[in-house]
Amino acid sequence: MIPSVFLLPVLLFPVAFGALLAAFRFRKRAHVRLYTMIVTLLTSAFSWAMILFGSTEPAVFLRFTRDFSFTLMFDGCGRFFAGIVATLWPLTVLYAFEYLAEDERQGVFFSWFTMACGVTLGIAMSGNIFTLYIFYELLTLTTVPLVMYTGTREAVRAARTYFVFCLGGAAFALISLLYLSTGEASVENVETTRIFYVLGVLGFGVKAAVFPMHGWLPKASVAPTPVTALLHAVAVVKAGAFSVIRLTFYGYSPELIRGSWAQYVLITLALLTILYGAVRAVREMHWKKRLAYSTVANLSYILFGVLLMTKEGLQGALLHMAFHAEIKILAFFAAGAVLHVTGREYVQEMDGLGRKMKGVFACFTVSALALTGIPPLSGFISKWHLLTAAAKAGTPFSWAGAAVILTAAFLTAIYMISMVRRAYFPDSKAELSKNEGVKDAPLLMLVPMIILALGILFTGLFPGAVIGAARDIAEAAHATGGGF
Amino acid sequence: MRLAVLVFLPMIFGVLSIPFGRKNPQISWLFALAAAALELGISAAGFFLSKTRFAIPGLFPGGLSLVADGFRNVYALVISGMWFFTLLFSREYFAGHGAHLQRYYFFIMMTEGAILGVFFAADLLTALVFFEIMSFTSFPWVIQEETEGAVRAAGTYLAIAVIGGLAALMGIWILDVQLGTTEIRALFRAFPSAETGGERGRLYLAGALILVGFGAKAGVFPLHIWLPKAHPVAPAPASALLSGVLTKSGVFGILVLSFGLFYGDAAWGAWMLVLGCITMLLGAVLALLSIDLKRTLACSSMSQIGFILTGIGTAGLLGAEGGLSAAGTVLHMVNHSLFKLVLFLSAGTVYMNLHELDLNRIRGFGRGKHALHAAFLLGALGIGGIPGFSGYISKTLLHEGIVEAAAEYGPAIHAAEWIFLLSGGLTLAYMTKLYICLFHEKPDEKTEHKPGPAAQPLSALSFLIPALLIPVFGLTGNFSMLGIARLSGGFFHTEMPEVLSFFSLENLKGAGISAVIGAAVYFLVVRKLLMKDGAYVNRLPKWLDLEEKVYRPLLLKLLPGVFGPVSALFGENRLTRPLAEGVFRAGSGLSLLFGENRVTAPLSCGTLRVLKVLSRALSDMTDALVYFLRKTLFRPARIADTDPVRSSVSYRIGSIADRISGDPTKKGGKRRKKPVPSDRHAKFFYRLVETVIHTTHNLSDSMSFALLMLALAITAILFYVLFVHRFG
Repeated sequence: MIPSVFLLPVLLFPVAFGALLAAFRFRKRAHVRLYTMIVTLLTSAFSWAMILFGSTEPAVFLRFTRDFSFTLMFDGCGRFFAGIVATLWPLTVLYAFEYLAEDERQGVFFSWFTMACGVTLGIAMSGNIFTLYIFYELLTLTTVPLVMYTGTREAVRAARTYFVFCLGGAAFALISLLYLSTGEASVENVETTRIFYVLGVLGFGVKAAVFPMHGWLPKASVAPTPVTALLHAVAVVKAGAFSVIRLTFYGYSPELIRGSWAQYVLITLALLTILYGAVRAVREMHWKKRLAYSTVANLSYILFGVLLMTKEGLQGALLHMAFHAEIKILAFFAAGAVLHVTGREYVQEMDGLGRKMKGVFACFTVSALALTGIPPLSGFISKWHLLTAAAKAGTPFSWAGAAVILTAAFLTAIYMISMVRRAYFPDSKAELSKNEGVKDAPLLMLVPMIILALGILFTGLFPGAVIGAARDIAEAAHATGGGF
Repeated sequence: MRLAVLVFLPMIFGVLSIPFGRKNPQISWLFALAAAALELGISAAGFFLSKTRFAIPGLFPGGLSLVADGFRNVYALVISGMWFFTLLFSREYFAGHGAHLQRYYFFIMMTEGAILGVFFAADLLTALVFFEIMSFTSFPWVIQEETEGAVRAAGTYLAIAVIGGLAALMGIWILDVQLGTTEIRALFRAFPSAETGGERGRLYLAGALILVGFGAKAGVFPLHIWLPKAHPVAPAPASALLSGVLTKSGVFGILVLSFGLFYGDAAWGAWMLVLGCITMLLGAVLALLSIDLKRTLACSSMSQIGFILTGIGTAGLLGAEGGLSAAGTVLHMVNHSLFKLVLFLSAGTVYMNLHELDLNRIRGFGRGKHALHAAFLLGALGIGGIPGFSGYISKTLLHEGIVEAAAEYGPAIHAAEWIFLLSGGLTLAYMTKLYICLFHEKPDEKTEHKPGPAAQPLSALSFLIPALLIPVFGLTGNFSMLGIARLSGGFFHTEMPEVLSFFSLENLKGAGISAVIGAAVYFLVVRKLLMKDGAYVNRLPKWLDLEEKVYRPLLLKLLPGVFGPVSALFGENRLTRPLAEGVFRAGSGLSLLFGENRVTAPLSCGTLRVLKVLSRALSDMTDALVYFLRKTLFRPARIADTDPVRSSVSYRIGSIADRISGDPTKKGGKRRKKPVPSDRHAKFFYRLVETVIHTTHNLSDSMSFALLMLALAITAILFYVLFVHRFG
């Protein structure tokens, strides 16, 4: 058992060494990479050590007032999120090495990238809503430079939008957080509690890209692919979803919200987002933006699961959080690999590329099938759990949700599998001559992709461990409830 | 363990063949053949082994579980036999034109494992998993040749497979929620024992969705559209497998529903009978009209699936007394696999010699080619239901079943009986057409067919051996065919018939009527209407070209077309039209899956335009808000057009400084209209003030949003504390 005090060094380690990276002047780019890789791998190893052997006791580091303190705690839910982050981060770093191989300023990039890792871990390790809020804001601050890394006009605009959206959202979350700290959230003034709960979910929902606060996500896909992949399919957006879970099950108590207008309003928003995201994804022809819209839809699957406010719903949501992360990051990697090798970013330009870039498109096919929910890949399992949870909840809204999820599955099939078909079997009109001489992505890019594709298959075939972990967390959250 | 080996062995062989077959696809072929031979042995051994279950609980959410029984063993044997013989044939077939052969053999092996998984599945979820794998691994067969037609057909195949798979998944999910299990044995009679109407309704919904998924693969009307397109464009050995066994995996799903969940529900049986009749007749008519050898056979497959469905339907109507129908169903399944193996391999022989399938080009090819002649004739006699051949046995049983159902349910079923006999007659007519064209008519003067055997001995054996089984089964019906039926009894929950006098006058009468109809149709319709100056003509009107002009739009209209009839009822008025249009167009998003053509392009264009406007409006909603705020509340204050030097503050300070330093250019206290820019101190303060102004401006500009939000938050809390908390 490792005491909780060690959580602080674990999350400070990447932040400190990331900042140091900017201070050092490495003469060779290879040194930058080596340094980054070592720091990232060590961070992952420390995190996993804490996940497996850490104590669950909270550790208070700093007490501002009676109600506000800087506290770290590593309970099941946090471990789950930290596990996703700690597993996917080194893979993305590996991918980024090749993606940014020619870049002069990569030291700056990896500096921010490593710091963001620490901050994301901080979100997972937060012991109360206040600490969570601090890391949530810090995540915005550390990722803005990454979004505008390319420095183009478009990137700067996207970063600004991102910044404004997230900051505004966090302000609403702060309202909710302050209300919680007054200790008024109880049965006596239940209506007020619900109002503040809705505000809080909407505030954190900005990062989870709930319609109509989703605008920043597709715009931010101008960032370099490792950033879009990790931050906008995994860390940032999942941090939003994770915060909503914290707020719902650990902050407020589901009993106060369940069956009230607050739940229905939020579920309606989530369902609207699912449909909206899927429809936009179908009509979007920019590959990365299409994936971004797909992310918008899929995040609301998670929120839908959370908002059902049952333990089955939370279980499904956690599962989708994990599985969507690995699926979507792979899809982004594939898009990035094509962009890196050929410079093409539109779906129409993919005709016949499947024959040339065999490895990339084999991996993308796995990701597309998994995202659609084709068994036996992992996406199927989380969708199945969400659907079953919806049916068990048995309210009209949850049935509507099941219908929406199934409709969205059709749309997913259209926007993902049509790309696969195009890549392998182009329409006869397509000009294939421009594909001459296109080569598969470099090995360093393919390795993380193949690992992820195998991971999707493996977790689809042997989901027992993940399902079990999610179930334990959901049951524990359901049993304790509140007091976060 | 045997079941796991059966399912996973070909898949493992497939993966192993990748490194070895890279240089030479023949090695892949050897791998596939070895796998198929092993499978044949293992599945045959199944009849003598007692251990029949295999499960891996941790795999998939529900656990992977396989089970064997008599029927499944029979079908496993059929499947592995089909695979073995088609592979035997493939070597010569691909000898001339073999691009992407390694890919082909790889997917052949993967599919063999998957389809066995479907048949051995103990629960519907496992079945669906393998069903999906099978759909995707058989897709490359269809597209193998990569011609334009193949790409289009494969697009349709993929669309139907994906949509069908998702529909089936939906249905299975409802079953799981409703009954708490998807295990096939536990589904038995679940529907009749459901109590409330709502529960029954949901089970019907589940059944319908699963039927969509599996029926699409079987080629049941109205989801048959992929079948007449995909089978002809695939390589002949693959067509034989698609027609002979892949369709049967769809039928397997329908069997699970009809002899499990809905067992004893007459209404479900009636629906199956109706679907069966339509499919049977439509397929036969299409086959008769076709002038392409493989397309005729493909449409014939659809028609024969209709025959099988009528058996399922009458068995459903009769419940526990439906032994004859159940036996007819399973025997016709086995028979049809056998016939299509023989016929498609024969067609493949024609194709590999001539690279033509048009009846006018291939006529007379079979003259003097005895092996081909014998095999094709046996296949044709079998599928035509001529007494003495195996097709007669199964068709007689199906016919008997309909007669029994008619005795119980009255005249409506008689219509089904006549459709059955008519379709039987049409079957004879189109088979006669093919047979006479291939083996009796003389080729044109221009074309000359090479004399000598059409196929090498190995390939000839691959269709002759199965062909010989047809008369053997036909003559020993009571022993061999009913033996198969008795083995399958457990799966069908029905008492199978022991001994029947197949050659009694009563039974021969049905075959006789069909034969008369067949002869009449051949001489009156085929020779008079469908031929002109001795050439076969395509009488299928252009506007009725079912491949492209009707079904693609129909599918696109049918799916979202719920509103179509509504708007037709009320006329197109201002209320209904946009509604119907909107829904219709939403459906045309499907065309993205199909690719573009003349019909779908404008549709998808229109949809995209509507969606574009809508989603633009939706997505820019927040942007518009921000824009509006920036133009109003947060409009950056214009940088005041004041020259700081001229401002009184900097002027005063500057002149004081001037006086202290005693600058000679200044005459003390005398205020000039405009300070001279060269004034040292004034300039310094000018810069200072400018910097301060700009900095404050920038600060306030970038912080404004965050500050406003914070201010909002604090105000809200203030309000709360003041009013709700204190006085509330």
